[in-house]
Amino acid sequence: MSEAPHTVKSYEEELKNLNANIIKMGSACEEALGKAIQAITTRNSDFAEAVIQDDEKIDKYETLIEQQVVNLIALRQPMAIDLRETVTALKMSSDLERIGDLAKNISKRTLLLNEHLPKNLVDSLNRVSNGVQKQLKSTLDAYLERSASMAVNVWEGDEQIDDLTNLCMQEVIKYLKENEKNLEDGTHLLFVTKNVERIGDHATNAAEQIYYLVKGEYLEGDRPKGTEPIVTGEK
Amino acid sequence: MIKIKAKDVDVFYGKKQALFNISLDIEENQVTALIGPSGCGKSTFLRCLNRMNDVIDICSVKGEILINDFNINDKSCDVVRLREKIGMVFQKPNPFPKTLYENVSYGPTIHGIAQSKQEMDEIVETSLKKAALWEEVKDRLHEPGTGLSGGQQQRLCIARAISVRPEVILMDEPCSALDPIATAQIEELIDELKKEHTIIIVTHSMAQAARVSQNTGFFHLGQLIEHGSTDKIFKNPDNKKTQDYITGRFG
Repeated sequence: MSEAPHTVKSYEEELKNLNANIIKMGSACEEALGKAIQAITTRNSDFAEAVIQDDEKIDKYETLIEQQVVNLIALRQPMAIDLRETVTALKMSSDLERIGDLAKNISKRTLLLNEHLPKNLVDSLNRVSNGVQKQLKSTLDAYLERSASMAVNVWEGDEQIDDLTNLCMQEVIKYLKENEKNLEDGTHLLFVTKNVERIGDHATNAAEQIYYLVKGEYLEGDRPKGTEPIVTGEK
Repeated sequence: MIKIKAKDVDVFYGKKQALFNISLDIEENQVTALIGPSGCGKSTFLRCLNRMNDVIDICSVKGEILINDFNINDKSCDVVRLREKIGMVFQKPNPFPKTLYENVSYGPTIHGIAQSKQEMDEIVETSLKKAALWEEVKDRLHEPGTGLSGGQQQRLCIARAISVRPEVILMDEPCSALDPIATAQIEELIDELKKEHTIIIVTHSMAQAARVSQNTGFFHLGQLIEHGSTDKIFKNPDNKKTQDYITGRFG
């Protein structure tokens, strides 16, 4: 934080601590997403198990951050930038918690998938995931740097994620149609793809919140949207 | 609607300048809070609005203060009449050493507002009701005002101020000597009073400014640093100094 320190040092410490917990929680989410993707694309069950197990840590961060926020509001009555810091921490922590849950869900499905997935599907999923991982990293960087322009970049980048998601979905649907035996894996892959895309949405939510934190005003206008999501299959 | 318009106001105590070029619009039927560290000039500014600085020999005021478009610093301004229109409530409750009734009837008497005893009774009752004190004191109107609790005394002073039907009420830290319950009663009263009066309150409590006012002005070293909606000042002030002050970072 580039602000001058508070006169009351313990207040300063509490805000710094809150900030540090968001960063730790964010890093834990980045790790969970990275491992979940690696687990599914390289068929690594150990990684998948680790993500499932580590989700509890992420949940605990959310509880801790919520308690810190409630204490700050009750005992310090934060104003202006401090108020925005506090509100942002609360909202970001719930988006990050959802990211943790979605990564866990991807890992659960990974454990149910067959050993061999077609290469084109893995490549396609990798493309969406790489994009989302970059989005999440940029979001956390924007938070760390208190950068509104970095937050806007994330916000604008969500459109590309939507497009990649739809391409991936189309390939999975094609795979489903090829053979009845593909039904189970294909369904899991549809959910995995959707989960990855949802993680991108949560990163974008957090980016919007960071913009508010820095600027004190909300990002105007509708979030850029890619092509309409495929629900029923190819036209 | 702008009730008071201050234009380029400078105030000097002898050679020392206390206010620099203050321009500020006060909206009618709203509460405007003036905040800032001790010695920043907020009370000095408040005292300009009913020419209370006149009583300090070495004090001189320059610039224009328009109330209802009339410059109160003009030689033609009748100060007694001005103070009838602009009431004031101070930090420490200061009832006269007289009965409750006399405290409230004093203003209407000297300004010749009531024509009869009955009319005066009505003014006293209405003023005490508006000050949310009537129910507590209606049976002891002829006891001394100084016998009330601090919070009641302050409400008595508010009743005294509104008895002459002022258009503007100036409040200089009206709750600093009161407990939280008495403070809440005054704050509720301020909310009510703004329907009929324009209120300007000086307070050291940021939380109070945030709670009671619609507009806030931040003073520092004799200058008006920022002025705007209370909402904006406390969520996202434009000026770094304002933010440092309200978040407790002043160094």
